[in-house]
Amino acid sequence: MWRVTPGQALACREWDGEAVLYNDLSGNTHLLEGAALDLLHALHVQPADAATLAVRLADHFDAGDDDLVSLIDDMLHTLAGLDLIEPC
Amino acid sequence: MLTVGSLSRAELEARLSGTGLVLRTGPFANRIRSDVQPLIDGVALMYADYPVDPEGGFVDFHLDFLRSGGLRRWVRSQVHFAYDGTTPFQPLPLGQAYPMLEWTMNWCVSHRAHGYLIIHAAVLEKHGRAIILPAPPGSGKSTLTAALLGHGWRLLSDEMTLVHLDDAVLVPLPRPVSLKNASIDIIRAFRPDAVLSRPVEETTKGTIAHLKAPRDSIARAVEPARPACIVFPRWEAGAAITLDPLPKARAFMQVADNSFNYQVLGARGFAALGRLIDASNAYTFRYSDLHEAMALFERLALGTA
Amino acid sequence: MMRLPLLVRVLRDPAAVRGLDGVGWDLLLRQADAANLDAFLLVLLEDAGLLDAAPAGPRAHLEWTRTGAAGHARAARYEVRQIRKALDGLDVPLILLKGAAYALAGLDAGRGRLFSDIDILVPKARLAEVEAALMMHGWITTHHDAYDQRYYRQWMHELPPMQHARRGNSIDVHHAILPETAPVHPDPDSLRACARPIAGEPGLAMLAPADMVLHSAVHLFFDGEFDKGLRDLVDLHRLLGEFGAQPGFWDALPARARELQLGRPLFYALRYCPRLLGTVVPPAVLAAVAPDGPRGPLLWLMDRLFERALLPLHPSCADAFNGPARFALYVRGN
Repeated sequence: MWRVTPGQALACREWDGEAVLYNDLSGNTHLLEGAALDLLHALHVQPADAATLAVRLADHFDAGDDDLVSLIDDMLHTLAGLDLIEPC
Repeated sequence: MLTVGSLSRAELEARLSGTGLVLRTGPFANRIRSDVQPLIDGVALMYADYPVDPEGGFVDFHLDFLRSGGLRRWVRSQVHFAYDGTTPFQPLPLGQAYPMLEWTMNWCVSHRAHGYLIIHAAVLEKHGRAIILPAPPGSGKSTLTAALLGHGWRLLSDEMTLVHLDDAVLVPLPRPVSLKNASIDIIRAFRPDAVLSRPVEETTKGTIAHLKAPRDSIARAVEPARPACIVFPRWEAGAAITLDPLPKARAFMQVADNSFNYQVLGARGFAALGRLIDASNAYTFRYSDLHEAMALFERLALGTA
Repeated sequence: MMRLPLLVRVLRDPAAVRGLDGVGWDLLLRQADAANLDAFLLVLLEDAGLLDAAPAGPRAHLEWTRTGAAGHARAARYEVRQIRKALDGLDVPLILLKGAAYALAGLDAGRGRLFSDIDILVPKARLAEVEAALMMHGWITTHHDAYDQRYYRQWMHELPPMQHARRGNSIDVHHAILPETAPVHPDPDSLRACARPIAGEPGLAMLAPADMVLHSAVHLFFDGEFDKGLRDLVDLHRLLGEFGAQPGFWDALPARARELQLGRPLFYALRYCPRLLGTVVPPAVLAAVAPDGPRGPLLWLMDRLFERALLPLHPSCADAFNGPARFALYVRGN
């Protein structure tokens, strides 16, 4: 299960499917694909795991079912490495 | 209004060697003290049109440039920079004193003035539209800037674009345009009317000269501008002229990378840059011919490019 | 006592800014800048509702410090977060010292304070594990010279500073608050035993209030370096102000100082904070620490030396005495 790290306000700006996001913890700014931003917004609403997110966001992605969960899992680990989300 | 040019040479030297010359550049008052002749020459020539503030008021930055004393005085004279009693930099050969003034004035702003997002970029305005030109050294930004100034563009800045934090307004800081190496001759040829400082050789950046800012730009320094375009220029020998749109999120990241204080500003900087990107169309720009570049920029100013 | 510099007068009484002209504000800000207190000056004036008394120019300069201070606080929190992750598996009690503690505990002393290194206190027996864990997570030791390494590990109270390879921030890992070579030895086990958890930060602790004051005092009066002398004195003043309001703090302070062999630094703290910054200390406490101070001529000399060494390091505050004063105290500290 993942949640948005407490203290992250997810300040972001999006233009043409690409987004920039300000990381309140590290002070860094990240360039994110729209899909990664969708994951963050979904987790902000409610903590979830990769499988749940795959179901909730199926129409945002192109991949098939199995690939999608694993793809989302990879993205979640990347986001965790940036301290944007954490396990809970 | 008192300007540097309205002071006699004797008065100028007296102020500089006494309580200081308070030189106003854009929103900043700089108190300069120096006994170094090449620096005084540079100020007299390049800053003739700039306002001089009365003594006895609040000053933003305190810059002292002094000759080294003692034995070295005769062997190899140096100029030492002190900021309010601290010495953040190594001394330089006396001949580099005027470029040192320019570099340290930049340093004062970029290290302290965190009421602005400060982008390492030139910014010019024409027909009410301002174009920001971020560019790492060697991209031809200064040559382009110097050329545009001869075509009716107003100079807001050649090195530091000041973006007001609460709205995306651009605050002018018009100062002499720095030119390096080959640029100096290119601009001499392109703009025979231009006033240049005496070239200084063997600096860490090669040969340096400065181009005097247009009087009109200095007079309009209190007049902010609204951003219209962000253009990342690159000069390439023989290149056909191209202007390609740059996706805004990428432009955001590239401008952040080209900023002096984006990191320091944190969330406020993020918000300010977001507003700037909202207001601007971003492009990458390749050119080899200055005349073609002038024509294209005219179209950008008119909004027809 | 000689006339205090403008900055010190304003620190004692912020309302003094009301009488300032352009030149006065200019001098105040330059002294504050030189003393690393410009960000604090913003906090001080804002708390006192005096920011509007500043004309536009000085007001802008004060505001310019705001984002920098916020950035330092944020960076400290993030760095501590990374340190905590690195030491997670070790079950080592992690005590934050100095600025990092002030920032994470939300103490008044942390507001408007800038700092670069994170200081932590760990048990001496666990030093090797802590160092190894930090290295695994990207910190590397500095001071690679063999002499420097020995100097730190054998004689000092800390590892050589470690720097994070990617982020560039430094961490000082202490096992005691004074070097082995110091004339006194405040017992680290006692400091650890009295440490308090930091509210809202699981796994993080800070020194007990009295110990935090004593650590700050010994750092200021024993280290012998005074470039941040006034800033450190302001830290003490703010700590005393905040903790002084807690029941029992003043009563227990002199005895705790003696227990940790830190009676002398406490004496100086409670002498110079009131003299320079107007800190309010109960007379009974002053009487209790009086025996720990130097006598007669030596006290007179210390007064002359410290009262000058603790001024802002700015040309406007220099007198012929200042240089020799700092040097004499530096030699004494070593």
